[in-house]
Amino acid sequence: MMATLASSCLLTSLMWSSTIAAQAQRSSRWWSPGDGRTLPATVDYTDPDGAVGILNTAGAIDTKGHPFFEPIGTNGRACVTCHQPSDAMTISAATVRERWRDTNGKDPLFAAIDGKNCPNLPQDDPASHSLLLERGLIRVFLPWPSRKADGTRIDPEFTIEVVRDPTRCNTDPQYGLTSSNPTISVYRRPRMAANLKYVTAAAFGVSPFIVKNGQPAARDPETGALVSMNMMADAREPTLRTQAVSAAATHLQVSGQLPSAQIDRIVAFESQVYAAQRMHRGAGSLVEPGGPPALGPAALASGSTGTLGNNTTRYVFPMGEGWKTLPRTGDAATDARNAFRESVARGHDVFFFRTFWIRDAMHINSVGLGNPAKRTCSTCHGMHMTGMDTVYGWMDTGTTNLPWAKEPPVSPWATQAADLPLFKLTCKATVAPHTFLGRVIYTQDPGRALISGKCNDIGAIVMQQFRGLAARAPYFSNGSAATLRELVDFYDRRYNIQYSEREKEDLVNFLSTL
Amino acid sequence: MRNRLIAFAALVAVSAPQLGGQSPRRVNFVSCPIVQDTPTVPCWLSEYEGEQYYLGIQTDISADFDPPYLGHQVLVEGVVSDEPRVCGGVVLKPVAISPLPELDQSCSVIRPAVPQFTVPFAPRPPGPSGGRLAFDPPPSSTAQLKPPYPARSFELFYDVDMLVMGRHSGQLTEIFNYAQKIPSAHLKVGAFRGATRLSNGRVLTERAGISKARAEEIAELFEGAGVARAKIDTIWRDDPEPADGVDDWRSRRVTVRVEP
Repeated sequence: MMATLASSCLLTSLMWSSTIAAQAQRSSRWWSPGDGRTLPATVDYTDPDGAVGILNTAGAIDTKGHPFFEPIGTNGRACVTCHQPSDAMTISAATVRERWRDTNGKDPLFAAIDGKNCPNLPQDDPASHSLLLERGLIRVFLPWPSRKADGTRIDPEFTIEVVRDPTRCNTDPQYGLTSSNPTISVYRRPRMAANLKYVTAAAFGVSPFIVKNGQPAARDPETGALVSMNMMADAREPTLRTQAVSAAATHLQVSGQLPSAQIDRIVAFESQVYAAQRMHRGAGSLVEPGGPPALGPAALASGSTGTLGNNTTRYVFPMGEGWKTLPRTGDAATDARNAFRESVARGHDVFFFRTFWIRDAMHINSVGLGNPAKRTCSTCHGMHMTGMDTVYGWMDTGTTNLPWAKEPPVSPWATQAADLPLFKLTCKATVAPHTFLGRVIYTQDPGRALISGKCNDIGAIVMQQFRGLAARAPYFSNGSAATLRELVDFYDRRYNIQYSEREKEDLVNFLSTL
Repeated sequence: MRNRLIAFAALVAVSAPQLGGQSPRRVNFVSCPIVQDTPTVPCWLSEYEGEQYYLGIQTDISADFDPPYLGHQVLVEGVVSDEPRVCGGVVLKPVAISPLPELDQSCSVIRPAVPQFTVPFAPRPPGPSGGRLAFDPPPSSTAQLKPPYPARSFELFYDVDMLVMGRHSGQLTEIFNYAQKIPSAHLKVGAFRGATRLSNGRVLTERAGISKARAEEIAELFEGAGVARAKIDTIWRDDPEPADGVDDWRSRRVTVRVEP
């Protein structure tokens, strides 16, 4: 009995120590607003597949007093709250859950404004934060109809009905679509605040009228220069500066005007920080001399921007030839590493060369290719070094629009309830129906259409970077792919690609090294 | 209209082949498009009265030919050429196509690649390019002009019942850039409601109100791009344009005149 008790105490003590150690490690990974540490010029953070690397091209950053890292608003958050270096400058759902456990849900991350499914739900109940905890989603609340840059309301081409409202926010009398200040709530993943020279580059394809729909392109309100419209899921903010102001007002609940000097510092930091996987448990170092030129954050820092990479002269992700065929040495570890590297090289070729029928994808099939088009992943994901679209990157690949968006089964035996809202959008009789989805469209997130009011923009979401993926699950704007394998499976199902098991595995391995 | 939408498109179109001094044979019809896969890029075909016609191939955004959509019927307006068949289809050249706006899920045929069908001209493969777009961009009709800039007219051609699409962006940009060169430039927008006489005698007429919608949209687009609304005049004619079966795609148009 005593022995059992002693063992039990020892076990409890060990578990406690291990919990404390894990918490200590987590707390060193977590950047709390205002903790005043120095962010080194280069730093690696472990992730499920190895380590993501962060590179500050301007050198180490003293974060004390830095507006990206300080709680400059009224709710205790900073930019860094949702743009954590350990998570490739965004935040993973796993980190969100750890933060809930470590703080009993008291972290400013869970602020009522948008860290909760709806502001008026009970703050201490984890169910009120389910979309953030389970999918890493932040509530994005937008006026409906939206307003143009001059403040006038748009005249939308469609009507919106709320079909399903599990968060109760879109039908809420205070926060919903029928409130005195009609607002629509959608739920989206924070994007990477890194590698932004690619995201903001206005080069290939930028023109006064958008090549996807002929509409006037957005401009920098300060300079009048055309912008890429590639920064946010719905392209609503034209520049890093306007995004900083908007994010400060909403996510941080800054009262009053953000001082220009603070905006300058935020933009400067965002423009100098790069993030990409640097170490991989299967492939080893991703930045060895002679290794794939695309990998690691330094490659991003030195890469050329505004470049279409869907060609064999630049490539989207230049991988070189070094990993195509590697020797077997008889050393098990080396051979396993070499086999994994060969899988990564094959995965690149699946991404770049494996054709399939791209069908019914708005803003790709409608842009000179026809429907369907026999092309590859890199047709849509063509930006050199990031896999975004080069400009005006919103497309409907089916992640939020039915019938392709991931929905739980509905049956007498179903145990999983739908957690995202569902909207019914009906294109008015005075306009042409959506080219591929017709006049009535069901969607979890109308995407760009919430800003443009255009039927053909319904469910069109701006492409995201393919970098630092291992550090920042889940994927897609609605967090509907929990893993890279689920992401690949989504596309396999959406486009009937019929990947082999080996192709899927290779593609996942490739993506996990980016 | 899904050929390159430049102001001198009409000149190209009216220079259709004159076979032995006879008028070229034209076919204007509405039918489903068909995809014929090949070892490289897919061909686009359509069938009418037991004959199969070749419309074009998939290339990229730089191409004159903007392929149609499965899931939609397509209006084909073409001239029968004496070129060898491509992908089993009689070659229409020139050809103008326009998907019809409403969905038609009966248009769903993708034929698998077979050895006898290859494309004679494939300026880019179905995947990544060799480093350039399939075609060079068209020359600007205004870039070489010097001040004082004269008044100049532009035409935009549309798909049936449709407004501006992405492929209009190049021409809109050219008009906008030209207007920017002229101090206090005035834009006069005229819009039309098109009609096409089909080979079966039926006349396909665009919906009422489309000309007004086109005029107002063009004005709104230029205003959105930075042209003062007071500098844009709009007129439209809602009676359908006359249709005689010869290049009727030109009736679905907007004219923009930029005046000093």
